[in-house]
Amino acid sequence: MPEQSNDYRVVVFGAGGVGKSSLVLRFVKGTFRDSYIPTVEDTYRQVISCDKSICTLQITDTTGSHQFPAMQRLSISKGHAFILVYSVTSRQSLEELKPIYEQVCQIKGEVETCPIMLVGNKCDETSAREVETTDGDATSKKWKCAFMETSAKTNHNVKELFQELLNLEKRRTVSLQIDGKSKQQKRAEKLKGKCVVM
Amino acid sequence: MPAGMKPLEKFLKKQTTALTRAGGFGEKATGTGTSRRRASLSRVVPFFRETSPESGPAREVFSPDTEEAPCWPSATADIRSPSLSSDEQSSEASLDTSWTPLPADTPDNLALALLDSVAGKRYGNCTETLLDDFMLTHPIFLASDRFQQVLLQQFGVEGKAGEGWPSWDGAERKQAVLSVAFRYLDTYRELLQEEGERSNSFPKELYLCAVQQLSQFPELVEDVLKLQRWTEILQCPRCSEEDKEIRKKQVRPLFRHFRRIDACLQPREAFRGSDEIFCRVYTPDHSYVTIRSRLSCRVGEILALVREKLQYSEDQPTQPGNLLLVAVTSAGEKAAFRPSDEAVFTTLGVNTHLFACEPSELESLLPLPEEIHWSPGDSKLHDMSAEEVATQLVVFDWELFSCVHEVEFVCYVFHGEQARWRPLNLELVLQRCSEVQHWVATEILQCQSLPKRVQLLRKFIKIAALCKQQQDLLSFLAVVLGLDNPAVSRLRLTWEGLPGKFRKQFQQFESIADPSRNHKSYRDLMGSLRPPLIPFTPLLLKDLTFLHESCKSFHGELVNFEKMHKVAEMVRSIRRYRSSQLALDAEPSPSHLQTKAYVRQLQVIDNQNLLFEMSCKLEPKDM
Repeated sequence: MPEQSNDYRVVVFGAGGVGKSSLVLRFVKGTFRDSYIPTVEDTYRQVISCDKSICTLQITDTTGSHQFPAMQRLSISKGHAFILVYSVTSRQSLEELKPIYEQVCQIKGEVETCPIMLVGNKCDETSAREVETTDGDATSKKWKCAFMETSAKTNHNVKELFQELLNLEKRRTVSLQIDGKSKQQKRAEKLKGKCVVM
Repeated sequence: MPAGMKPLEKFLKKQTTALTRAGGFGEKATGTGTSRRRASLSRVVPFFRETSPESGPAREVFSPDTEEAPCWPSATADIRSPSLSSDEQSSEASLDTSWTPLPADTPDNLALALLDSVAGKRYGNCTETLLDDFMLTHPIFLASDRFQQVLLQQFGVEGKAGEGWPSWDGAERKQAVLSVAFRYLDTYRELLQEEGERSNSFPKELYLCAVQQLSQFPELVEDVLKLQRWTEILQCPRCSEEDKEIRKKQVRPLFRHFRRIDACLQPREAFRGSDEIFCRVYTPDHSYVTIRSRLSCRVGEILALVREKLQYSEDQPTQPGNLLLVAVTSAGEKAAFRPSDEAVFTTLGVNTHLFACEPSELESLLPLPEEIHWSPGDSKLHDMSAEEVATQLVVFDWELFSCVHEVEFVCYVFHGEQARWRPLNLELVLQRCSEVQHWVATEILQCQSLPKRVQLLRKFIKIAALCKQQQDLLSFLAVVLGLDNPAVSRLRLTWEGLPGKFRKQFQQFESIADPSRNHKSYRDLMGSLRPPLIPFTPLLLKDLTFLHESCKSFHGELVNFEKMHKVAEMVRSIRRYRSSQLALDAEPSPSHLQTKAYVRQLQVIDNQNLLFEMSCKLEPKDM
């Protein structure tokens, strides 16, 4: 089935319960829920700017279990950028990202052109922390990808996560703002404290 | 070239369209009576090949050899004769002239008459017919609960001077009740299992009653044991705990996105209302969430799951308002469901998707981009032989057809007040019919090269011939109708490239699809076939619908049992079609496995506008 050629597809992977859906929903809807509803596969669409025009940001939230390996492979091959999420409260969840990273490398080939963001979520859980920031950072250096710690609950770094991911995209200019401002302009405005992300 | 569609095709299209709508129609009240009735629900008992506690196959009485009485009522009834060809009627062999129609009576009295008949064999051979008539059709006029009550009552009736049966001794009477009870349990087993505790009380009570009477009637001991087994069966439908666990984890693939090759190569099992499936529900901007739901789920529950996923909360400034669940076809037609509608998943067209939206957004819902655009690709069909494809089509059709319980045919058309069953597997057969039709059109219209397209035409005609030869009239006519799709039949150059003998053969096939004189050609063909065979199911349902609409089920409070008998007769003919096994090949070779997977995972375009567009690109309209 044909995809829209001007979609920008971001896929979110990670073990069950690390907060993938919470991050996505916090970004897309601005809401957060404590209750846990396991995802099968959801996709959210949002208009963003792309190469002086607009396109659709498509965020696919995947399952933490391994029910649909074929679906996983398909989303990797169709995806443009990837968010690999673990929870700072679980070392195990960082371990579980390894095979996913490897599969992305395998399917995508040239991982350098592909924006990948390693995300340590639940950074608000200071007492339950198992993975230090330095550990996450070290992993990201090993994988040659970007790294960020977030909290969907407190809404820390969530928008920044998606903004940064788009900034990493070199094959085209994608941005959450659709007002045609250049990257430099936006950065300058951000430093001035204005929030311009829609 | 006829501008419109042939009436049979129109009917099939209507069926397909009806499939994409449940009873409720959003803004327009364009629903026909039929489809609205469908929404007012009937549950159904999926057909299982397992045997009951009774030894041997069920219903051996109805093997084709016994040629039971056709039992057609005389013309005096207020019924126009149903649209069966005379051939079909006379093929029911020897006439048992001792059969007389059961006079109209109240539901309760009919139940008593049934018991009379079984106990006293008053109607002779026709007791079996009466019993079968009653079993198949009682949901139309007698609620299960009430029927169970009557049986319990009659079992417990004491004394020679009691109401109803003065002339038979106690044991005979009780055995009659038990025999009818077992027949009932056997027929409705799967449904009762779905209902859990509620239905388990029936065999339990009967069992307790019977146990108490054992001292007085020791001959009942075997029946008592049987009853005990039934209480076990109904108590724990999925048997052991581990079985339950496995079953719980297994979500059955229904929709295309969740198909798995390993699952689709397995023989098909009947769907039950309690089976869980994954389903995508879209929002107006074409975002989607995947929910996990029971097949029999109410629309209200589906929307609750969607709301939960999308994190709609009460403390949000903008209330989501009342969400609607809407089916949107690939061509953009929409139909909104009512919250009370149930089991809507199997009613959807092949490429129809579910949307959740607010009432204000309904108008502007658009079909998904993948339904209105297409990219040409290489079809695997070119590498497959017509024989292999036809074989796999037929095998799959048999699996699907066998999954349909007899009661589903009744429930599809007749919805009583207490309708509890959905004809899930029957709806999937209809969906398959539509799928095959559109597959044919899709394959031809995706083929860019003219000579290859001509080859495809030949292949499909050959496939149709092979299906007909193997007596699978479902795929046979679906392929023919697919080739008759206006987007395909307008490809003049392509058809002209077809050798004369193929064109002649196709014309013959087309004539079988000719609906004139009440589908005489088709019925003549049917009359000439012996089981096993698969009928063209949409027409079968049309006949049942006609029967339903042409005579009343009730005359006041009295049940028109002659109508019930006719309904049962139609179901019995279906039973005959399935009465013998299709001879199947041994394990398919690897190449056959590929074909098998292909046939079971067809990718089709069912958006007629898009098909037409593709057709015009291949052979532009004459200036």
